Amino acid sequence: MHTREQSPRQRWMAVLARASAAELAPFERALRDCTYQLIRPAEIGMTLVRGRMGGTGAPFNLGEMSVTRCVVRLADGSTGYSYRAGRDKRQAELAALADAHLQGPQQSRWLNELIEPLAAAQARRAAQKAAETATTRVEFFTLLRGED
Amino acid sequence: MNRAPSDLLQAAFADPVLDAQKCFRAALKALSEPGTRQTLVSVAAIEPLQAAGYALCLSLLDNDTPLWLAPAFDTPAIRANLAFHCGCPIVEAREEAMFALLDAAALDDLSGFYAGSERYPDQSCTLLIQLERLDRGPALSWQGPGIDGSRLVGLPLKPAFWQQRAARNDFPRGLDALFCAEGEVLGLPRSTRIGDSLQEVA
Repeated sequence: MHTREQSPRQRWMAVLARASAAELAPFERALRDCTYQLIRPAEIGMTLVRGRMGGTGAPFNLGEMSVTRCVVRLADGSTGYSYRAGRDKRQAELAALADAHLQGPQQSRWLNELIEPLAAAQARRAAQKAAETATTRVEFFTLLRGED
Repeated sequence: MNRAPSDLLQAAFADPVLDAQKCFRAALKALSEPGTRQTLVSVAAIEPLQAAGYALCLSLLDNDTPLWLAPAFDTPAIRANLAFHCGCPIVEAREEAMFALLDAAALDDLSGFYAGSERYPDQSCTLLIQLERLDRGPALSWQGPGIDGSRLVGLPLKPAFWQQRAARNDFPRGLDALFCAEGEVLGLPRSTRIGDSLQEVA
């Protein structure tokens, strides 16, 4: 899925971006349990999604999707960013808070309690989806035809 | 990971869309009625850029508007916040700028700012000028579009500014200016003619 090497922060931001609202909600109280400032309050915008046919063809514009982004700063100065698909401002703020906490002194705690379970759930869902899709796969063969 | 620039970031407008629209409206009104003061939305200043000047920047600048910064405003905090909230490119060459952020000390030399072409006078550079106040200078009589008869305006400016402006004013080419101080903005479009003064300007 990932062709380039991801930094640890890229990985947790990706996990937070894919986490569903229900998965983030249990952490809301812990995430908000600090003084923080909204540098950029959550705002909704559009982004253009581009694709390549088969992953290698010429790039084309697939369409636009709504994105919510947010930037917060904690009292200790760490700045958290989030970009999430959809229009849920509350989840964008939680994801930004999580990003900020993950850069702070309690990084390993947040990684173990928040990111790893979410990443495992996401990997499970991806594997399940891949398995479901694999059963519908159709292989095309060209039979060798004798010339004489 | 370089965290220095993000430590300098601070919150901008409380309501980014509506506050920017209010400031844009104030700037339009300031230019359409030259010499009148219009109130801007309050925002936290980034020293030495005061609230009024910063509010104008937030409402007028985006990634299509190259900005030239006067040396006084060329600080890491101002660069970081403008890059974050406006996304405007900051240019070194005056000729490339569509907006210039100036303080009173930078007004002695307005050379280099693009005054537009005969065909596209609208592409000229707009000057955003931060002053300490908008009154108590030598009162000058302003005339032209948007002014019924004449209007006395006492901006605290040195004669050098008026000479620099006149040297670059070749209608329809010329420079438009927005002066800001103490939460207010005052417009000086290129179409305004500066008449005789009550107190003699040197």
